Amino acid sequence: MVLTLYGALFVVLGFLMDTPEGILRGLRQIILEPDFLITDYIGVGGLGAAFVNAGILTLAAIFILYRMEIKVTGATISTVWLMTGFGLFGKNIFNVWFIMAGVWLYAQYQKDKFIKYVYIGLFGTSLAPLVTQIMFITNMSRWVSIPLGMAVGVFVGFILPPVSAYLMRVHQGFNLYNIGFTAGIIGTITVSVLRSYGLNMETRMIWTTGNNQILAMILVALFALMILIGFYLNGKSMKGYKNFYKYSGRLVTDFVILEGFAPSLLNMGINGLFATAYVLAIRGDLNGPSLGGIFTIVGFSAFGKHLGNMLPIFIGVFLGSLTKVWYINDPSIVLAALFGTTLAPIAGEFGWKYGILAGFLHSSVVLNVGFLHGGINLYNNGFAGGIVAATLIPIIEAFKKEE
Amino acid sequence: MKHDRLKISKIVDELMNYCFYMGSTNIHVDVQETDEFFKIYCKCDYKDSNLKKVEKMVKLLNCTKHEELEEYYWTLTGDCDVANELSLVGMMTDEATVKYSEGQDIEITLYRYKQNKE
Repeated sequence: MVLTLYGALFVVLGFLMDTPEGILRGLRQIILEPDFLITDYIGVGGLGAAFVNAGILTLAAIFILYRMEIKVTGATISTVWLMTGFGLFGKNIFNVWFIMAGVWLYAQYQKDKFIKYVYIGLFGTSLAPLVTQIMFITNMSRWVSIPLGMAVGVFVGFILPPVSAYLMRVHQGFNLYNIGFTAGIIGTITVSVLRSYGLNMETRMIWTTGNNQILAMILVALFALMILIGFYLNGKSMKGYKNFYKYSGRLVTDFVILEGFAPSLLNMGINGLFATAYVLAIRGDLNGPSLGGIFTIVGFSAFGKHLGNMLPIFIGVFLGSLTKVWYINDPSIVLAALFGTTLAPIAGEFGWKYGILAGFLHSSVVLNVGFLHGGINLYNNGFAGGIVAATLIPIIEAFKKEE
Repeated sequence: MKHDRLKISKIVDELMNYCFYMGSTNIHVDVQETDEFFKIYCKCDYKDSNLKKVEKMVKLLNCTKHEELEEYYWTLTGDCDVANELSLVGMMTDEATVKYSEGQDIEITLYRYKQNKE
């Protein structure tokens, strides 16, 4: 119910920020424009349309999970908040369904229940920009490009379940956005093939500025409400909150199952406030992509993240800004810090020094891997995080003393 | 069901990893397959100083079954010796009982029922 409330709240906020005509026009633009990284839907369709898009996607994800009679866990919460966050930059009410259909077809092919694959389907919509790219952006006839875009989306969804389960072993669960790693590899192969046929993937940077005040107010209200609800449901106490710091956060650390919903809500609200304060403190911009990063932190605060394992990652990215050629508030680096917390379990398991190292390396790797998939994998940080974790973990293990 | 027997093997791997983590030097594992279920029985000793690890194991194994998580994450079981995935084992099994008392071996019994496909 709390999740549904938040989804509905986004739709309401959207309508408060724009007229119905403006929202419809904005939604049309969001659907037709390319979605690959970095496309801020606030810049494409306006604040109202972006919020309505995110709200509808959130409610749709909740509806699917509700119909499947899934018990609410940390995985449920992280999935739903991921849909909200990326509903502001890359996923829209049109482009996500083909990948979901592909995953559903895979379940049918295996004569298995869709419930087992529903999270892979929802997470897997990270490749949704591929659908739009092929449908509307190529210079092919629409009679060819639209069915082709649909078919590619369905095909990608169809191969996601086995590939994602297989690749989990590569980083041993130390990269929280495993689908990002999987989608990065599938996206790299797909885009390589498309480039071989002459498709030119141009870079894109739609990054809005100037909305910090209104968005900060919304975020602070959202997260404060989250803390208040969590505090109330937790018997008006912070009981259980400090237990989170005992967990490394490595997959699968489901805080809702392990510690309960109310303390998890507290953790989510606190981490949301921290992430918002971070963006404001470095004089970054609050917009679709950075809100996406904040919401992803909030979602995964029910599924592995806490301040103890996230802080070293932020410090690693910050230290990188002192020595490398970019600034801490460059768009890609703001996202690298927020989404780089995909590597939080490294700090949680091996200690803060390795966490800082992971953040330091991640902030460089993430700037270089986007080219490989042409920005069609929205979880680019999950792709980079997978590479960093797969390299760091065996090295750390090799030099770790046996217990 | 895909990889059903491999999942049992990996659950056993995970249990054994944790037994070693608790300081076990004598581990017995018995796996039984029937038409309805897989039963995994494990008996092991542990170091008295590791009682907290035993209590943690009881908590993690008692996670309720979550088949929606299993298909995505099951490959992580038994694959890592620096961290454990016992909560995932709990999510992959239908029943878990752990018996232990001071100075006695621990007895762990897990059931994983075979389910009908839709």
